[in-house]
Amino acid sequence: MTRNQTYLWYGARRLLQAGVVIVLAYALTFVVISVLPGDPVSNTLRNPQNGFSEEEIDRIVAYYGLDQPVLVQLWDAFARFVVGDLGVSLRSNLPVSRLIGEALPSTLALAGTALVIAVVLAFLVAYGTQRLPRRWGQGALRAFPSLFLSVPNFVIGMLLLQYFAFQLGVFNVIDPESGAATFFAALALGIPVSAQLAEVLIAGFDHESRQEYATVARSRGLTETGLLTRHLLRPASLPVVTVLAITIGELLGGAVITEAVFGRAGIGSLVQRSVATQDLPVLQAVVALAAVVFVVVNLVADLSYPLLDPRVKRTARWSRAPRSAERAGPASPADASTVQRKESIA
Amino acid sequence: MTHPFSRTLRRRFIAVSGGTAAIALLAGCAGGSSGSDASAPQEGGDLTFLIDSLGDTWVPNNGSISSFQGHIFDHITDKLVYVDENGQASPWIAESWEQNDAATEFTLDLRDDATFSDGSPLDAEAVVANLDAWAFGDPENGINPIGLFPKTYEQAEAVDEQTVRVEFSAPTLGFIPTLGYHGSILVSPETLELPVEEQADLDNIVGSGPFVVDSWKEADNVVLTKRDDYDWNPEAFDREGPANLDSLTYKQVAESATRTGAVQSGQAHVAYNVTPKELAGLEQQGFTIGLPQYLGFVEGLRLNARIAPFDDVKVRQAFQHGIDREDLLSTVYTDGWAAAESFIQSNVPEATDHSEAFAYDPERAEQLLDEAGWTPGADGVREKDGKRLEVTLYSNPYIVTGAAVDELIAQQLGRIGFDVSIESYDVVTYGERVIANADLSNYPVSRSFVDAGTVASILTDENNGEDWFGVGTSDETLTRLQDEIAQATDADTRAAALDELQAYVLEQAYFIPRTQMVQRIYAQSPDVDGVTYNALAYANYTGAWLND
Repeated sequence: MTRNQTYLWYGARRLLQAGVVIVLAYALTFVVISVLPGDPVSNTLRNPQNGFSEEEIDRIVAYYGLDQPVLVQLWDAFARFVVGDLGVSLRSNLPVSRLIGEALPSTLALAGTALVIAVVLAFLVAYGTQRLPRRWGQGALRAFPSLFLSVPNFVIGMLLLQYFAFQLGVFNVIDPESGAATFFAALALGIPVSAQLAEVLIAGFDHESRQEYATVARSRGLTETGLLTRHLLRPASLPVVTVLAITIGELLGGAVITEAVFGRAGIGSLVQRSVATQDLPVLQAVVALAAVVFVVVNLVADLSYPLLDPRVKRTARWSRAPRSAERAGPASPADASTVQRKESIA
Repeated sequence: MTHPFSRTLRRRFIAVSGGTAAIALLAGCAGGSSGSDASAPQEGGDLTFLIDSLGDTWVPNNGSISSFQGHIFDHITDKLVYVDENGQASPWIAESWEQNDAATEFTLDLRDDATFSDGSPLDAEAVVANLDAWAFGDPENGINPIGLFPKTYEQAEAVDEQTVRVEFSAPTLGFIPTLGYHGSILVSPETLELPVEEQADLDNIVGSGPFVVDSWKEADNVVLTKRDDYDWNPEAFDREGPANLDSLTYKQVAESATRTGAVQSGQAHVAYNVTPKELAGLEQQGFTIGLPQYLGFVEGLRLNARIAPFDDVKVRQAFQHGIDREDLLSTVYTDGWAAAESFIQSNVPEATDHSEAFAYDPERAEQLLDEAGWTPGADGVREKDGKRLEVTLYSNPYIVTGAAVDELIAQQLGRIGFDVSIESYDVVTYGERVIANADLSNYPVSRSFVDAGTVASILTDENNGEDWFGVGTSDETLTRLQDEIAQATDADTRAAALDELQAYVLEQAYFIPRTQMVQRIYAQSPDVDGVTYNALAYANYTGAWLND
């Protein structure tokens, strides 16, 4: 097989895997929530305060198809899902596509901004640890990641709100989608995430700067700045890309708290409400969406390694890639594929 | 959307300074502006209300009984009658009403000038369509009946354009007050025709209220704008014409501290459901604290007289007298909470003072337990036939103070020999494990009603009743009183029966009152004037205005 054919074969397998992951996630969510007792419709109706008769309750439960056997309900949901119909929320009675359509832009803006902030912060901190004189700044900077990680993001959020919104009036909670409000919410969300990235990046710099090629470059009279930007940055970024892929999941998860603190209505708060009310159709759709995001992000991460480090292109065999890609799926630890990459580089 | 609030924000903009200093400064400004308090109503203005949740669904019939949506529905819809905070029903869309002697047939005379915001008339046909929808729902379209509507409803007919006759299968004295309940909102017949998915879109809910929906986003905000041709305020409001305010914005902010911070910094006018602990500070800063009581039951426990140890009246009475309610008020709450005088709230017209029956008396409580055969064991917990006097309390998840109240009560009862444990659940789990479980020894109660007749439907298991005390129809006095209340055809007879019932239930210690119920807490900027609270403790801003 030529290299291109192998690459296509790899791409096709990855796509197929992605499809399977999404379908399984969809079905699994259904099963997990179906084994829980009750559903939001009958929960409301059976509240004794309403005093509804069994017959009244049965007719409404039947309207939602909740009287059908679980497998029939799963099949119905599935048949709709395949043609792109996400169903109707049992809690709000609104189409699920509308709920997600309204919540998604807010979360994308928040998570996207947070990601940029996290990456920029991480690079600044890591760069500082390499360039600042050892005696003072460096030690302090090296403590930054653990400091940032240990402060919960709602504390950071409350502090930002108190100072920038309530005292300075830079933004207000009535209009949480404004640029300024989004920036500060993203800061609260991005700071803990940047800590992880910085940690990995610092380790990367430290590791690369001890390599022979770095010593050689230094001996040729290259300045430290030149060495960092021209030689060390790209290989040191490699593990960051893997961590980044996992980080995106963390941004979506952390969004629940940040959204609550900043009064934003996004996917996080939608999930929170849907879990609280066992709103199955919404949860299924969100899980499927999350699966899509993870699969795409991991694919992009895998495909970007060769761009960051030419040595990967030279030594990595595409036929090997799917194995590491499997490990980089939603539930796998980041390091697995990083280690794999390191090995193939070495 | 361009935010209506930016003007106020600019006015209130404060320079960088230390946190407390800034807030003190702000409070100073706010206090100053409220100096001109007696000012005349002002036209215009945009009010922002921060709410912890916008509830689950906008389908009027499918919302829960005590709902966040009531705040919005109260402004975009009208009701047939207005029920004030004292439980008095007065004319609104129904200008007057009559009933037959048996209280089974009611005739409503409607005003002739009210219209829905789509231009269609609010006439007898529309009222009949609404009555049917409340009573029967539309199960084939996923629409529930409304819970509190009298089950005795048979039918309604439009006699002419302004007259509606309503028939019941049994005496239904509670019918008129029920029309002021927040579920009984009048919407256009076209709205009622819509399937559930479309009624769930607030844009499709067409009412006849002083405001109309301008825009909304699920779980985020609802913006209402005033309706210029509105001129059918409830008689009780004693005002004519449209609202003073141009718009009302309900913005969901889930985090309590954020709501408080936003009103303190002038970013919003009203913070809803702040915690009792925050109230003193807000009051010092000049905020108006609204703690309206709604009509209903006090916050307390109903005991299951079928389940040990509460199957013994003496143990129930010991429980009753073992609780120091003054201690509850001073420890958990603020001055805004009042002591219970009965098991229904004091503002219910039929409420009578029976506080003697449940006064704090630890000595009597211990004596009752001695008489019942429960003797103190080695660790202070009483025992009888080798069993310990154990009780589990299930904290009320609907009120912020639920668990704190239980902890204090556990200590108080521990002193007289009870071993009290506490279980706390979230709302959903609570629904599964507590509400739906008939075998627990006690249940917390925090429930509103608009008419004391409701009491009759819950005491026993007659007519699909809730059987609150687990005694079924075995308690003859209870059953007799329930029947007297349900079948009463005039208010005085019913009030007498209700008085007897309150005395009996409390003496039997079937119900353990704790404090009067305040479930809706408002912290309001001093700039806001002219707010009214109705029977369900919802704040109404139709007559409100903003002082500059």
